[in-house]
Amino acid sequence: MTGPARLLALPLVAIVLVAGVIGVQLAHGGGTYEPLRPADACVERTVTSQVDGIEGLTERLVLLGVSDAACALGVSREALTLELAQSGDRTSAEIDALRDGLRSAVGRMKADGTLPRASALTDEALDSADLNGLLERVIRAVPDSVIDKALSTDDVLLRAIDDLDLRDLLANLDDQGDLEQQVEAAVTGAVKDALEARVRGLM
Amino acid sequence: MRRAVGPLLAVTVAMVLADSAVVTLALPDILQNLDASVGEVAWVLIAYNLVLGLSAVPAAAGLTRGQPRVVTAAGIALFAGSSAWCALADSIEVLIVARCLQAIGGALALVGSLELLVEERGERRGLGVWVTAGVVGTAAGPVAGGLLTQAISWQAIFVVQVPFAALAVPAALAVRAAPLRDPDRHRPAVRANLTLALLSAALTAALFLVVLLLVEGWGRSPATAALTVSVVAAAALVAGPLAHLLRPPPQVEIAAGCFLVAGGLAGLALLPSSDLAWTIAPQALVGLGLGLTVDRLTSQAMQMRLPRARHAGWTIGARHLGVVAGLAILTPVFTADLQDAQAPAEEAITALVLDAPLPPQDKIAVAKALGAALAGERGQVPDLSRAFATLDLDADRRPAAARLERDLDAQLERAATRAFRDSFLIGAALALLALLTLVPVRRRRTT
Repeated sequence: MTGPARLLALPLVAIVLVAGVIGVQLAHGGGTYEPLRPADACVERTVTSQVDGIEGLTERLVLLGVSDAACALGVSREALTLELAQSGDRTSAEIDALRDGLRSAVGRMKADGTLPRASALTDEALDSADLNGLLERVIRAVPDSVIDKALSTDDVLLRAIDDLDLRDLLANLDDQGDLEQQVEAAVTGAVKDALEARVRGLM
Repeated sequence: MRRAVGPLLAVTVAMVLADSAVVTLALPDILQNLDASVGEVAWVLIAYNLVLGLSAVPAAAGLTRGQPRVVTAAGIALFAGSSAWCALADSIEVLIVARCLQAIGGALALVGSLELLVEERGERRGLGVWVTAGVVGTAAGPVAGGLLTQAISWQAIFVVQVPFAALAVPAALAVRAAPLRDPDRHRPAVRANLTLALLSAALTAALFLVVLLLVEGWGRSPATAALTVSVVAAAALVAGPLAHLLRPPPQVEIAAGCFLVAGGLAGLALLPSSDLAWTIAPQALVGLGLGLTVDRLTSQAMQMRLPRARHAGWTIGARHLGVVAGLAILTPVFTADLQDAQAPAEEAITALVLDAPLPPQDKIAVAKALGAALAGERGQVPDLSRAFATLDLDADRRPAAARLERDLDAQLERAATRAFRDSFLIGAALALLALLTLVPVRRRRTT
């Protein structure tokens, strides 16, 4: 091997090897292998649920509501979820954003036709409600059309959201029983208020 | 006995240098077993390298004051005894003290073995065996430590060294070496030792951080990690034949080696996924660079310089203080990056759980189990499999949960890989800095 060849051969081999390895890695996404970045909370997303009925409706409402609240607060949906999962006091801004978010979620679901009619939720609501047997049978006998005329789902939900003590609710996220009790009380109250308003309207 | 002297001394040299990185894969086990913190357990590595680096030159001076074979045998015996003590340590403090003693014994064993090998094999071959044993030990240390930890326990790393070192004691005593009378004729080779120190700091990223990434970041077993990083040792062996084939001048060989180490570390910073196969080529580059540089630089720093043991002490000092500098630079960077990686990883996990095709009650159960798993980790990458194992899900929901677990693990692997990126890039920069030290400096002529 000649002098210049001896001088250049190994450096050239090294350059080719390094360039080859780094080139192949970059071509396969090297440098961008990072954790998933949270989506912009202000960009509208499609939300689905694996279950039907009240549970599915609640899940979709909460997911849309949290996204909307996160957008208003200028954080990601995930950051707000993690924040809400922590124990501690909530700021008024968080509570207001969450209530507004849930309200706008109801509006969005009504607008895109994904909000079920009240009659579709009655049987399930009656199953979980602690009602007098006779009263329960009477309500079950009421035709769906009458229920849907008397109660509109969005009206009930908006009243329930307004009635909910979100600060107290968020402080007790770990207590499933307490959580269900609070939501049930708010929904029952909302149904009562909606019916009263309806009757007052008829009068 | 006489035929076994050379191999036993070479094995001792390899063991002492392997000990620099041998416990890397055992650190998680030591942390758990001795109930230590991450900061304390890092000192198992740092203490050994620091004491070895600082005591190498004094050890060489000590060699001239007594019979080389006796001093060497005493050093090897101290190394053997303190290795046994390391295995018996029942607290992190005891382990760190034992590691310091092991390093002092190791320093005496290293410089003494060089003199005895030269006495046995002659200047050229003796130095060659000493340098090669050192390179093999450095490259094979993490592999051996990982395999022993996985197969037996972290204590086994120290136990297996004891019989080899014990056998090397009579082997050292069997060499008839005259007392060293060489005066300080030559100055230390500053440039070669500086390059060696910078390169050792860079290699810290490859030898320590890769195994941490594989075991802690990607959740691979120590044995798998050991086999994966063995690429470095295998590639280092190819370096010799490659240099022989292309016959570059020594400085060109070292420069190309530094560039390969820098390129390999940059490759490790740009991994496209957590598939082990992607680590092979960058590690091979690092191994090739290691093989081209370390033995050549060590020879350059020692050849034709007397007293030999003193200059060996300088190279050992440069290498191990380089390792300590590497650890001192890289440890805070990657621990801070791991900390910073926590928030994006948690957000990614939250996004996947929120959007998982599971009923709300199952999502809540998953979130609670994950929360408990994350809270239980002490600044380490969490093991999510335990959280999923505690879930009581319907049979038809299990495939979706299994898919979610895989996706979450992938997010953690992405976060961990990203957290190591800066450290690998700093390692690459250190290797390039080592390359810069090779640029000839022209002295201005005074007229």
